[in-house]
Amino acid sequence: MFIELHNISRSFGDNHALVDVNLTLERGRIGLLGPNGAGKSTLMKILLGLLPPTSGTGRVLDHDLATAGVALRRAIGYMPEADALIPGMQGAEYVALAGELYGMSRMQALRRAHEVLTCLDLDDARYRLLEEYSTGMKQRLKLAQALVHDPPVLLLDEPTSGMDPAGREGMLDLLVQLGRDHGKAILLSTHLLGDIDRVCDAVVILHQGRILCQGPVDQLCRSRHDRYRLLLQGDPNRFLEDLRLEGVQILHDNGRGEYRVQVPAGWTNQAFFKLAQLHQVVVRGLQSDDEDLEELFHRVIQESGARSQDSIRGTEY
Amino acid sequence: MASLLHYRPWQGEFHSPWWSIWPIARVSLGMFLSRRMFWGLYACGLLLFLMFFFGAYLLAWAESQLGVAAQQFGRDPSRMLRGIRQALRILNGSQDTFQYFFAYQGGIIVVTLSLAGSLLVGDDFTNKSHAFYLAKPISRWHYILGKCAAVAVIVQLMTTLPALVLYGQHAFDDWSYLTNVNYFYENDTGKGPAGIPLLLAVLGYGLLLSVFLSVLLVATAMWMRRTMPLILVWMSLFFFARVLANILVDGLKYDARWRLIDLWNNVTMLGQGMLAYAHEDINPKPQPEFWEAAAVLIGVTTICLMYLNHRTQGVEIVD
Repeated sequence: MFIELHNISRSFGDNHALVDVNLTLERGRIGLLGPNGAGKSTLMKILLGLLPPTSGTGRVLDHDLATAGVALRRAIGYMPEADALIPGMQGAEYVALAGELYGMSRMQALRRAHEVLTCLDLDDARYRLLEEYSTGMKQRLKLAQALVHDPPVLLLDEPTSGMDPAGREGMLDLLVQLGRDHGKAILLSTHLLGDIDRVCDAVVILHQGRILCQGPVDQLCRSRHDRYRLLLQGDPNRFLEDLRLEGVQILHDNGRGEYRVQVPAGWTNQAFFKLAQLHQVVVRGLQSDDEDLEELFHRVIQESGARSQDSIRGTEY
Repeated sequence: MASLLHYRPWQGEFHSPWWSIWPIARVSLGMFLSRRMFWGLYACGLLLFLMFFFGAYLLAWAESQLGVAAQQFGRDPSRMLRGIRQALRILNGSQDTFQYFFAYQGGIIVVTLSLAGSLLVGDDFTNKSHAFYLAKPISRWHYILGKCAAVAVIVQLMTTLPALVLYGQHAFDDWSYLTNVNYFYENDTGKGPAGIPLLLAVLGYGLLLSVFLSVLLVATAMWMRRTMPLILVWMSLFFFARVLANILVDGLKYDARWRLIDLWNNVTMLGQGMLAYAHEDINPKPQPEFWEAAAVLIGVTTICLMYLNHRTQGVEIVD
């Protein structure tokens, strides 16, 4: 078992950062999603063994959260969101220092630092001062210091923050490889839904200190039989006009002939083709459009808001 | 494009977290020693050391010349020798030598540390690199100890190490300096103990300075972070508090215990106690009791440690 939390709560005075969190996660690539103030940071601190919970028990990789602070952090590679760099140091020195802090000897740490930096394509920048690194290089360097002792678990906080699209793709590729090919359990905390979509096979959504949902992304996202993606060729204006008259909502037009539509009850797909033939438009693609992670996230947050409104009304009456 | 095709797993034994103290201290020292300004300050300290080192030879030369000169002028050389020794007693390797040496070096150390505090500790919080340290398998006390060790090494390099060289200089010059505790009384060349007790006193004085100044610097640097506020705090602690204590005790004739607000006076007083000074020989007079000075230093150190514990416990390692 990767993470097992039972009724974990954490309060700071009157502020309840986490409330009765129950979480059971198998090893894998897991995304931690939640708006600001949801309790992600507190949960990560608890998982790192840096902050004891106010109540509840938990285990991470069979280490008891209450007692195994140091042993727990040895099994985890943590990549902070902040730069957390030490100006004046060279890249190789910085990663080797991380190795020494994890408990490696200086020689081992230096050797391993060079190995990891080479794997992360930073071999040319090993002897450059950290303040000369670009944002993408800094992010890879932070990943290198988390990987230096080859931990079974990686806790990553916004690993693609501030990166350009190419750098972001590269970083996400690395994370997928680490999880898929090297068996690392990954807990990825990010605001970027695309990152989780790309890397993770399970997601935990936190809101106001509570877990709203958890599980494999494809199981949590609803299959929707009323939404389609249409790929059209030809002048679609009159075709779309007729669709609207038939009660179809055009949800999104990407400007390149691809449309997301929501159809009314009783609609059959044949109707798309009939109308297309009528207006001399070619339907080059038609596929059902299931709920994606972004929609899942918004739906879960909305449902949670509605539930709390109901409970407030219940208390008032 | 990075690829993990050649990524190899690592297997090996991990050391205990106590081993991480030295890497933390080493990195801080590396940053300190890479700045030219600190080498300049170290050079100032070294000049002072050279003054004491070669001053001992000057004293020996003056003593040898004095006998000849006294005979020429028909005077009693022993009286003149006593006068010279009294005037240059800070160079003869006695308790006075080390007391003055530590006092003068202490001034340079206070200036150096107040300038270096933000570099050694404060920058970790400004650059958020404390997250790098504290997310590792070490406790916050290992981190604090590592930082204190860095400061202690600087203090030792500027005080105890040159003091030991001075001690060695006198011991090599006359072996009985090292073996005879009553060396100064028997030779009528000064006061206080010689030999191993003096050596232990020198080591103890250095240890006192290292422990107190390192804890105080780490705490104040973690609090202030930036250089200018840190300088102001240290000026208040070591300069204004001293001026105030002198005004209260010497000017307004308040109780001698008011001198306890002067932390540097407490440190030098305890150091002189280690060098076997009698309470009534410690200047400026009057002074509080030794145990009162020790209690104040222990109290300040405890408060600093409590603050460090609180500050690193509440640290936001995840934004």
